[in-house]
Amino acid sequence: MQQGGGSETEVTWEDQQNINKFGRLNNRFHELEEEIKIAKETNENLEDASNELILSDEDVVRFQIGEVYAHMLKVEERLETMKGKASEELQRLEEEKESIIAQMAELKKTLYGKFKDSINLEED
Amino acid sequence: MASSSASVVSERRGIPAATFVEDVQTYLTQLELDVNSSLSFLQERLQQYRLVEMKLLAQQRDLQAKIPDIEKCLDIVATLQAKKGAGEALIADFEVSEGIYSRACIKDTDSVCLWLGANIMLEYSCDEANALLQKNLENANGSLEVLVGDLQFLRDQVTITQVTIARVYNWDVHQRRTKQ
Repeated sequence: MQQGGGSETEVTWEDQQNINKFGRLNNRFHELEEEIKIAKETNENLEDASNELILSDEDVVRFQIGEVYAHMLKVEERLETMKGKASEELQRLEEEKESIIAQMAELKKTLYGKFKDSINLEED
Repeated sequence: MASSSASVVSERRGIPAATFVEDVQTYLTQLELDVNSSLSFLQERLQQYRLVEMKLLAQQRDLQAKIPDIEKCLDIVATLQAKKGAGEALIADFEVSEGIYSRACIKDTDSVCLWLGANIMLEYSCDEANALLQKNLENANGSLEVLVGDLQFLRDQVTITQVTIARVYNWDVHQRRTKQ
């Protein structure tokens, strides 16, 4: 938080709550970036696995469940379900990120409107 | 203090809340502190908050690692039950040592053994194992939610303290300027 040049702008409880909310949203935003990165990787891996499966043409596939590789025959269905869930999860995360960006923009307007130069809400 | 703090929590699970300062002058007179003492008090508070934050973050990381493990266990139990239902044996390749795998044929699985920690492993029927693992998963998720709530509360208190420090400092600078 930038230390202003000795201005006397009053900070109300509502302002403080807005600042707090901005902090929380910013934190959540960074967490989401990490989670989205992982979700994208998962999606890609499942996609690759699916493609490999089509190419491999073997009946029995060693599918990883937990720490072991189980021999399974009907893997396509399972893989499709996993892909569906993964892409839903990715979409949910992206939507949450969009919502947070919008909320942060609103708060920035409010806070900069009141405090102008006395507050710094940018990433270092 | 204004009555808007009526809905504010004074502490959460051992973490003291930071008092919001309505007016710096009143704050300093009420506490009978000069600027430097109050600034060092606030800085100390900030340090304490940071320590608690590190502890909570470590706990959060542990839980976030535990939850996928429990889900993997549930997956295996479900697969074993499905195979039993179909009357087939489960053939699995497992790691004997690093880089070395062996094949296991798991037939007629009525029970599984669950590692409970502290060098204790108990045998459960598949249904009991499912129930236990589900309960563990729910508990872990519940704890994680509470932890996230704690962290958010803590970060709010950190923000309030940082803002208060900035305001006390600014007030002081302003006072010195007007006195000159």
